[in-house]
Amino acid sequence: MNGFTKAVAIAAGLVLFAGAAQAQERSATKQGFELPANSGKKILVFRPSISVGAQSTAGMFEPNGEWTEQAKANLQAALAKAQASLGNTVIVAPEAYGEDAQTLQEHMQLFAAVSDAVIQYQFFVGNRLPTKKRDNKNAVFDWSLGKGVADLPGAKDADYGLFLFTQDAYGSTGRKMLQLFAAFGGVSVRSGVHKGYAGLVDLRTGDLLWLNADAEMGGDVREADGSEKRVHQLLEDFPGSTALKAQAVAPATATATATAAGKP
Amino acid sequence: MRALGAGIGLLLASPAAAQQAALLPPYAGVYQPKGVDEIGLWQEADEEERQLAASNLLIRDERLTGYVRSLLCDTVGADRCGAVRIYVIRAPMFNASMMPNGTMRVYSGLLLRVRNEAELATVLGHEFGHYESRHTLTAFKEQRSGTDAVAWMAVLTSFAATYQNVRSFQNFQLAVYGGFYRHGRDQEREADRLGIAYLNRSRLRPQEASAIWQHMMEEAEASASAKGLKKPNFRLIAFAASHPPYAERAGYLAALAAPDGADREDGADRYRAALAPFLGQFLDDQIKLNDFGASDYLIQNLATMGWTGTLWLKRGDLYRTRGNPRDLIAAAEFYANAVKLDPTLAEAHRGLGLSLMKTGRASEAVVPLQTYLTLRPDATDAGMIKMMIPGESK
Repeated sequence: MNGFTKAVAIAAGLVLFAGAAQAQERSATKQGFELPANSGKKILVFRPSISVGAQSTAGMFEPNGEWTEQAKANLQAALAKAQASLGNTVIVAPEAYGEDAQTLQEHMQLFAAVSDAVIQYQFFVGNRLPTKKRDNKNAVFDWSLGKGVADLPGAKDADYGLFLFTQDAYGSTGRKMLQLFAAFGGVSVRSGVHKGYAGLVDLRTGDLLWLNADAEMGGDVREADGSEKRVHQLLEDFPGSTALKAQAVAPATATATATAAGKP
Repeated sequence: MRALGAGIGLLLASPAAAQQAALLPPYAGVYQPKGVDEIGLWQEADEEERQLAASNLLIRDERLTGYVRSLLCDTVGADRCGAVRIYVIRAPMFNASMMPNGTMRVYSGLLLRVRNEAELATVLGHEFGHYESRHTLTAFKEQRSGTDAVAWMAVLTSFAATYQNVRSFQNFQLAVYGGFYRHGRDQEREADRLGIAYLNRSRLRPQEASAIWQHMMEEAEASASAKGLKKPNFRLIAFAASHPPYAERAGYLAALAAPDGADREDGADRYRAALAPFLGQFLDDQIKLNDFGASDYLIQNLATMGWTGTLWLKRGDLYRTRGNPRDLIAAAEFYANAVKLDPTLAEAHRGLGLSLMKTGRASEAVVPLQTYLTLRPDATDAGMIKMMIPGESK
């Protein structure tokens, strides 16, 4: 009944929620952390969490297996392509078994919880915890997963771990009709949800070194081009990245028209 | 306004119903989901199962899981149970759940509450019923079309937000949401009917199906009375109730049980033997819920088939955890009973010694604490216990 409760909340808050969550910070780097390009560091990429579906007229998430499979393949390919511009070696985390799988699972959940906390209590300016305020200059971005990350499968052969998460719900025809119709009456209805975040963790200390989170991502992950744009956006401001920023500009304009329908 | 809303509701509901063509049952061989919605739900469930398989809550015991699986196969048939993966979860709640892709979660709180194979088979059959009838998919489609109608009504109402229109919209919204819950309860009733039908054809006594809900009512009463609350109403259906009330389920399950099955076995002995290695841990988890009445009821209910050392030990723990002076007197008595039945229960000696110590009988506490240390010389609290025994600490 989880989905249902969510659906009730979404349907009820249809008009109220539209247009919220705008003025948020999107990324942060741990103070004093620098990752120079071509420094020979190795980055371990953990299995990305990707889910793609449609958004029903009322805003319910409708999972779509085919789109998710496409997005997984596309994003993987785009990530491999972006490797060169990250300035360091990227290795894919090995498949984990037995107790390793349990530790990995625990840390994936932990990373999700910590990133959630960062987004809620540090990036969301009005909601900032007292210890995370800007004037508290000593440790503005100070979050950690703990030293346990050193035991993750593949961690011994790498310096940093990269976690990726994307969730997309493309507005259904019904949702767009509702949006259009509501607009005539001056009611704002948001169509489509495109969230994503990426985080870099020090595999020795467990410290969160860099986090980039965006609740309004661009790039259609169902398409190869769109996936490249998404990966560029996810890895925007990635420490040590070289050509990434320059590259990101070109495809952004190219796919802007394709995704315009998905954005309000 | 109301007529328009109903029209939209019908319009949006119809394609969902039309999609139900003659499909293979989901347990058939290597069934592949059909249609965007089913494929999507299965993929979400697959992803969740991947996480579940690596979860810390999972009890990784091949014998226990194998036992639950064999019971499911005995109930629904060997040709059907093959498609189900069973995961026993360490969670002290009375629950089991089924995902559309055949992932079955069985909570340790359920294993603690049922007393024989027939009772457990009732719940397993019920969950299997949800799976074979594709209840998640049906509910998903229904909720989508229902909320769609509400969304349209919300927009239309906002165009002419008079008092009357807002009132009608709110009524409409309540009716739609009430419908979701009502249909959810109907799905539970259908799963109950499928479950009891499986049980009627199995080797087990179907009359036990009703007993689960009798015990749940007794437990809820015991819990309420220990908290000083009034007796719960077991016939009342709340607006957002996900399941039919206990009394209703107990009633129709008793009526649906095949009379000729009454002299079949219930498998209580086999069930007790299978649960025995876990009983202590499951009771510990239950005691930590801090629901004194329910925990005491559960222990006593388990003891109707004979008190064991573990049951006395855990009852002692329950009382010592609440820790009123009168509870410690009772706890000491329970621990003494445990020690009498099983002198090797180190924890019972420890509890006995600590309870006696706290009730002012320090000299009597020495022997049980020493016995504890003899039985468990490497216990993590050995140093602390030694400090309580005069002459032992250095």
